[in-house]
Amino acid sequence: MRRLLQGQGASRGNALGRAWVRLPDVLEVGEEHIEPGQVEAELERLHLAIERVRAEMQSLRERLQGALPPELGQFLDLHALLLDDPELLQGLDEAIRGQLLSADYALHLQRERITAGFRAMDDAYFRSRVEDIDQVIGRIHASLHARHDGRTGMAGEVLACESVAPAELAQLQQRGVVAVVTSAGSPLSHSAILARSLHLPMVVGVPGLLQRVADGEVLTVDGGTGEVVVEPGPADLRHHRERRRATARELRALRRLRREPTRTRDGSTIELQANAESPADIARAHALGASGIGLYRTEFLFLQRTALPGEEEQFQAYRDAVLAMNGRVVTIRILDLGADKADRTGLSLRDESNPALGLRGIRLAMARPDVLEVQLRAMLRASAYGRLRVLVPMVSERGQVLHVRAELARLAAALRAEGHGVAANVPLGAMIEVPAAALMLPTFLGDVDFLSVGTNDLVQYLLASDRDNEALGELGSPLHPAVLRVLRDVIRTAAAAGKPVSVCGEMAGDPRLSPLLLALGLEQFSMHPATLLDVRQVVRACDLMHLRARLPALLRARDRSGIERWIARHHPPLGEG
Amino acid sequence: MIEHELTVTNQLGLHARATARLVQLLSGYGCSATLAAKGREVNAKSIMGVMLLAAGRGTKVLLRVDGEDEQACADAVAALFERGFDENP
Repeated sequence: MRRLLQGQGASRGNALGRAWVRLPDVLEVGEEHIEPGQVEAELERLHLAIERVRAEMQSLRERLQGALPPELGQFLDLHALLLDDPELLQGLDEAIRGQLLSADYALHLQRERITAGFRAMDDAYFRSRVEDIDQVIGRIHASLHARHDGRTGMAGEVLACESVAPAELAQLQQRGVVAVVTSAGSPLSHSAILARSLHLPMVVGVPGLLQRVADGEVLTVDGGTGEVVVEPGPADLRHHRERRRATARELRALRRLRREPTRTRDGSTIELQANAESPADIARAHALGASGIGLYRTEFLFLQRTALPGEEEQFQAYRDAVLAMNGRVVTIRILDLGADKADRTGLSLRDESNPALGLRGIRLAMARPDVLEVQLRAMLRASAYGRLRVLVPMVSERGQVLHVRAELARLAAALRAEGHGVAANVPLGAMIEVPAAALMLPTFLGDVDFLSVGTNDLVQYLLASDRDNEALGELGSPLHPAVLRVLRDVIRTAAAAGKPVSVCGEMAGDPRLSPLLLALGLEQFSMHPATLLDVRQVVRACDLMHLRARLPALLRARDRSGIERWIARHHPPLGEG
Repeated sequence: MIEHELTVTNQLGLHARATARLVQLLSGYGCSATLAAKGREVNAKSIMGVMLLAAGRGTKVLLRVDGEDEQACADAVAALFERGFDENP
């Protein structure tokens, strides 16, 4: 019989499939004992399960490299730390070795003990953290059980469960699970964020889900509206097909955009470049038709290792990027490590009281001339293979730009003398993220070849709002008249001097803000590859002359709501492709 | 063995991110470390243990370290607490 269940849409998309109802693992474990002779085998089984979960998390990280919102990355790190937790591991060891309990039951007891501790807390914030721990233990548990029942999802199934761990989602999708519906959770959960990144339809918070759906029943899921129909009738199926077709049309239109130029309706060409932080991003950027790499973050070469990468290794990484972009520009940023990044090379200071304002970017590079020299030599050698540009992060005064320019000249001469090829011209650019650099642009504009505005840091410094501090809420929003004023001035000053300027912060990748940036005079955007086609679609629907004529109205806005109103009024209607 | 009284000064208390920083810091030291507050003592190298303390802002906790590098470890932990776990206020 047809039933309509209403939840909250957490990840857009429509799916039709058989329900796979998964009851929470805890319900299924009874007290199980083992023989003394089985202890080692049981511990081995447990540790294999933990290693499988670790590998799962690792592969998730790799698949999503670069596409992960930063808070999700931190949270995956937390889960990885939990897998090594001595409290958890010792407790399990004692239960198995001392009390001769099965690994499953030992895990069950640990979970009960720990979650009971959390549930007794007074503080709601702390109490809610139990979810992280519960999910990690749940994953180990599922990994132990995978051997017994093998039920891990099949193609064409819709998973109906209480909650789902982020690390599990990617795996479910690989097995062909078409949607996920949960009785708990919120659209703001880490799992929901991840489902959206994976384009896996998801509905959360369906009351009584596990009692109202039986294994094997057919469901339609609408991840936009949050509607789940059990045993859909002919009308539901027709509606589902229509929604599917509409979604497919949108996707096709976006795909066609890969090969289309980024031109506004009135014929101006806008350059859309990609930000990259790994070789995989470069490949994606090329496939999506990015006009170049506007920002290649080199930190990936330095993180998660204990020794600094040598010249040869860096040279190969930069050369490969230049080759992959096949004649399009590749902008490589000098290492921008700060005390807030977890490097193990001992390069950045660990004990800065305020890493955002500390020894980072070009400041760190100038404090460590040996590291800077190796990196610049590698970049110069790679410049022989294509169009490479060097970008200096965290510039706050002219001397920093002059220093890098002098080093480039000195090292280029040395490399040529050693017989290496070096491009005749390697453009040098400054990142504009320190307000002082934006204000005093004319003092060093003549010393650089291009500019790149890092709006994430610029906004945080300009508004004195730490972007990781959730308590600040909208106080850190880039939609502040001061931000628009600085952007306008930087773009205008650079244009008057004939120097290209791009924006490479999150603002550039937000299609909602594209008309605003176009009105401010921006002609070069650099963004995460994931948003490139969305931005291209909006840019192609915009009328540049009209938007520029509306700039005075934008600059008259006195607060965020005024800017929001301007944005709402000027969002172009999106046609199909 | 060294004992050192510390006060949680950061906004959110010893929550997930702060705890992760503490545990990552301690993993570099060989000495054993415990934190005690509200009448219970937990392994300071365990995220679960530390989070179970539910030490909010203003809570006083007692750090106990024992082992060869205890002094360096106590200093580093005290500095981390003083910096409010590098969360900006």
